[in-house]
Amino acid sequence: MASSAELVCPNPPHVPASRVYDFDFHNDPLYAEKGDMHDAFQHLLNNAPGMFWTPRNGGHWIILEHDLVSQAMRTPEIFSSANQAIPAMPAELVMPPITMDPPQHAKFRVPLNKAFSPKSMQEIAGSVRELAAELIDKIAADGQCDFVGAISEPLPVLIFMKLMGMPAERLADFREWVHQTLSNTPEREIAYGKVAQLMAELIEARVKEPRNDLISRLIELEIDGKKLSRELLLGYCQLLFIAGLDTVVNGMSFAIRHLARNPELQEFLRANPSRIPDAVEEMLRRYPIAMPSRRVVKDCEWNGIDLRTGDLVLMAMPAAHLDPKVFSDPQRYDLDRENFAHITFGTGVHRCAGSHLARIELQILYEEWLKRIPSFRMAPDRKERYHAANVLSIDYLPLVWNA
Amino acid sequence: MKIVIDRSRCVGHARCAAIAPELYILDDDGYIANDGFDVPEGQEALASRAARACPERVISVVE
Repeated sequence: MASSAELVCPNPPHVPASRVYDFDFHNDPLYAEKGDMHDAFQHLLNNAPGMFWTPRNGGHWIILEHDLVSQAMRTPEIFSSANQAIPAMPAELVMPPITMDPPQHAKFRVPLNKAFSPKSMQEIAGSVRELAAELIDKIAADGQCDFVGAISEPLPVLIFMKLMGMPAERLADFREWVHQTLSNTPEREIAYGKVAQLMAELIEARVKEPRNDLISRLIELEIDGKKLSRELLLGYCQLLFIAGLDTVVNGMSFAIRHLARNPELQEFLRANPSRIPDAVEEMLRRYPIAMPSRRVVKDCEWNGIDLRTGDLVLMAMPAAHLDPKVFSDPQRYDLDRENFAHITFGTGVHRCAGSHLARIELQILYEEWLKRIPSFRMAPDRKERYHAANVLSIDYLPLVWNA
Repeated sequence: MKIVIDRSRCVGHARCAAIAPELYILDDDGYIANDGFDVPEGQEALASRAARACPERVISVVE
């Protein structure tokens, strides 16, 4: 297995030494040193250039500053979404619409907008609440749990698998695959292959016997008057697999960790549940977990920086949301902050298509969890575990409360 | 007070409608359905707060 050390590359000639800073977003020792991944990004903001080149993972740019992240994500003519994985994949993966640029992107994006619109998501709120209540009731009397295994993993993943039409009993396999697809190891390509095979089987089954699920709807979908090729259909399903099976899990885990460390905030939200939507937004601002990437498709000077075709660029969302130029006293969790408009779900045409689903799931989780679990805290005798990739993840989150 | 929306740059965050659903009307895809509107009297603060919630910064308040 290639360790990330083997992926260290010499700095290319167009990158000045003043812009080079060593950071491995998959495995940097800074994560452990700080004991908190978001603190590691705060450290970068304080110590590295606002946009820097790291020799790790094949060599790539990392953008920390909010203004530059926003600009880059809104400039697809320079920062393309095609073939943007870091480290680079041996073969380009086409996953509509996330790997597409305008104008092609919109054709493949519109069907998802309808499927995941605020209105469509309101329709499934009842089943989200039912599952949340069921999962929480199962552990409420125990006085303790691993929040990831008990709640944040099964809740959004089972909801999404049902929407898609994926077999619920394979949750554990699928979670392993999704972590591998996001890793920087050779397991990544193998896992993409497994996802492709699973999706190909499901597509075949739905072609024969359509159901009321997203896979069946994508099979029927026509773009420019034609049904999708099997290859594009597969790419679509691969994307939905990766996008749906990891992000909300971690959005929930980071939120509950913050609440566990701040009993007075728990108290306040129990007494004022109407502030939960604001609490969700500020939590998304304070703890972004997804870091999208782009590939430069034009030699140019951009904000005083020389870019070359083929340069890979990581958007460090956690850093951008701790940028004091945009958010005053950024480390502070502040329900009444003046600027509450975050770009945790991205900005520009690739705004997370699942954002409305994520928000409903997060709001329902806060409501049901705070209603059913009394004052809870981090387990004093067990340590939480983390791992980093394009998604910052909590793997184990032990909590205790007085049952 | 008037709200002016650069509709072509809306990417469907739907934050405006989450804060002021009766003022900011969305289409079936969850994107803004118009280029702006006159703010009814008494709803200026709500309309402004919803405008500030837009992550794309495409909503302007014209006094």
